[in-house]
Amino acid sequence: MMQIKLKVRDLEKNYNEKVALKNINFDVYSGEFLSILGPSGCGKTTLLRILIGLIDASSGSIILEDKDITNAAPNERGMGIVFQNFALFENMTVLGNVEYALKLKLKKENKKSGNKLGAKKIKEEAQARALKMLEAMNLLEHKNKKPAELSGGQQQRVAIARTLVLNPEIILFDEPMSALDVATRLALRDEIKRIQKTFGTTMIYITHDQEEAFAMSDRIMVMEEANIVQLDTPENIIKNPANQYVRDFVINNLKMKIDSLMKYTDVDQEG
Amino acid sequence: MNKSIKKHRSTGFGVIDGTKLLLSAVFIALVIIPLIIMFTNIDPESIKNVVNTPNFWEIVLNSLKVGVIATGISVIAAYFLARFVYRSGVAHKDLFSILFTLPMLVPSISLGMGLIILFGNNGIITKLLGQSSGIYGMWGIIMGSVLYSLPVAFLMFADIMKYEDASPYEAAEVLGISKFRQFLTITLPYLKKPLISVIFATFTLIVTDYGVPMAIGGGFKTIPQVMYEEVSGMQFGRGAVWGALLLIPAVIAFIIDLINKDRGNSGFITKSFEESKSKIEKAIAYTVCIVASVFTVSPAISFIFLAFTEGYPNKLSFTFENITDVVSKSSEYLINSVVMALCVALFGSIVAFLTAYLSARMKSKTSKFLHMSSITSAAIPGLVLGLAYAMTFAGTPVYNTMLILVMVNTVHFISSPYLMMYNSLSKINGNLESVGDTLGISRVRMLKDVFLPQSITTLLEMFSYFFVNCMMTISAVSFLSSTSTKPLSLLINQYQTLSKPELAAVVSLIIFGVNLGVKGVFRIIKTRKK
Repeated sequence: MMQIKLKVRDLEKNYNEKVALKNINFDVYSGEFLSILGPSGCGKTTLLRILIGLIDASSGSIILEDKDITNAAPNERGMGIVFQNFALFENMTVLGNVEYALKLKLKKENKKSGNKLGAKKIKEEAQARALKMLEAMNLLEHKNKKPAELSGGQQQRVAIARTLVLNPEIILFDEPMSALDVATRLALRDEIKRIQKTFGTTMIYITHDQEEAFAMSDRIMVMEEANIVQLDTPENIIKNPANQYVRDFVINNLKMKIDSLMKYTDVDQEG
Repeated sequence: MNKSIKKHRSTGFGVIDGTKLLLSAVFIALVIIPLIIMFTNIDPESIKNVVNTPNFWEIVLNSLKVGVIATGISVIAAYFLARFVYRSGVAHKDLFSILFTLPMLVPSISLGMGLIILFGNNGIITKLLGQSSGIYGMWGIIMGSVLYSLPVAFLMFADIMKYEDASPYEAAEVLGISKFRQFLTITLPYLKKPLISVIFATFTLIVTDYGVPMAIGGGFKTIPQVMYEEVSGMQFGRGAVWGALLLIPAVIAFIIDLINKDRGNSGFITKSFEESKSKIEKAIAYTVCIVASVFTVSPAISFIFLAFTEGYPNKLSFTFENITDVVSKSSEYLINSVVMALCVALFGSIVAFLTAYLSARMKSKTSKFLHMSSITSAAIPGLVLGLAYAMTFAGTPVYNTMLILVMVNTVHFISSPYLMMYNSLSKINGNLESVGDTLGISRVRMLKDVFLPQSITTLLEMFSYFFVNCMMTISAVSFLSSTSTKPLSLLINQYQTLSKPELAAVVSLIIFGVNLGVKGVFRIIKTRKK
């Protein structure tokens, strides 16, 4: 039986009169890749920002492995986040970006345990771990470059490495590919799946792209106007859409894309 | 059972909002309270005296006439110069930009003086042509005011040119729309809002300046000049009435610029302009740029000429005596200026940076208020601010000290550097704070290790802006310094009054040299940083 990593219960978010999230309940399993799919304004980004602690929920609870993290600081939740516009530290090198927060974390841990390690040792440890991470992400050759010297896909991989090096329980992705071109998106899609397999990290991925969600996810949560309308495996969503909205927004959209693709394939074959 | 982690942030009004409100209160107090004190010192007798001045309306009209004509010339000239430099394919763009902005490095009074050296009754060019140019009076002030304001208008237009999108023009070309119609239907609507900003910034600069009229005005009086003369004659009440009059156009210009704050050049460019390939256009551009450069460089050349001349126009022999004379008698004033400029640059840059960080990067309900309070001082002419400070602090231990000079200059000049940093910080990725929060990097560390390094070139620009402006200011400091704290720039008028133009030229040259050096050093550092 799969182990539950994250429990979200009765989560609500209101901005004065406006309801941004209503009665949100779901579980995320350990090592799972869960996509949150929905159009702009459905509440998916609000949900993500509440999960990471950048916004407070109006009510409800978030439990990570039996620990109530509803009111915890963002860096104490055991989660990391990757934004769509990379948000790298432009003044630092790739290595600097990856080792900076790690160094601070190690310093803090060292202080807690009575300063057993010297500053030099901490620096070395952080650098060694950052380099190892860059190697795993195929970024080692770019370690001394500044973010501006990298392609969009490479920058996003640095952002993932920066998050991953802190060993988070869950990584959240906020539409990480929307700023990238099609070829880079496809490559990064494989890369994220490879990272997930290598590190076994649980991932929650926000997207408005049906194809992306179906290609990458173990399960998909479909959202509409502040509500979850269906949470299931891609296969079950196709076979048993919860309502007309899921049928239109998810299945029909996907079908249209496939149909147009097939049309061109037929033309090619006929030609 | 679930273990709960304590709440990490308080809701509602916090320390940050408190700091912002406190900072706003300080900014407002430093501008508004002295003004209120100045106004309360205005007695009905002073108002009556000023309004009953025989040529009162003539003075008001003079200011308006000079303001309108010089603004018109300056804005049109600056637009074409920016267009020629950035669109016509001329080489040495940087060199022309530097030459056009050189007048920014000397006090306005020096510019007026430079014109007298060239075109006055005994002027170099007057002698060469053998004909008097009638430079004294309105046209001299207009010419000096154009010199004084052209750099600012040019830099504003240069900025606008850099952000204009070329794609509407390409579409118009494809549709066969004539160049004239393109100008009417694309250029003018695009320029409307930024043009209003340029016009009002230029007008305020000209109409509130007393340096140029003082040097070259002769009997043609303008409001700031009369105000200066009244205050110098210890008629503070009457000076304050003139100051209040001067405040009207400055505040109106400030409000219109605020309303017009959507500058129209913030949109992203989908297509950059290609420079013109027309040889005729390029030839015209070179000719105009070279002529304009001669105009903007001429005051500096005239200072050099006069500084090394024994006694113009009678003794034209070369001498170092003027230099040694000024250096031996006035080195303490140079030290005063440099100390004041360094203190203002250092203190002002820190305050402007932290304020911009609070308002641009820590958004909350109080951010807008802080933003508005930080730019309030831009509405107050330096001369008026100086008088308000003089009336507020006279008799207190800080009056006539270096501290009050640093304070008044920081308040006077802070809005532009603040806006530079505000814009720079606003452009940095909006998710960085969230990244810092999730990675466990404190706001202070983010400020030190991420935002400060990313804003370093803007910080250097701010520093040099404060420094250069303090070195050449004559307005805010003229009523506040004593013999021991007097800055070098105030000696120009003193030497002029003593009929020692050679020494005034040396002082102008020293200020020009120091400012040019500082600008040069900062330019090198900035280029290396980039």
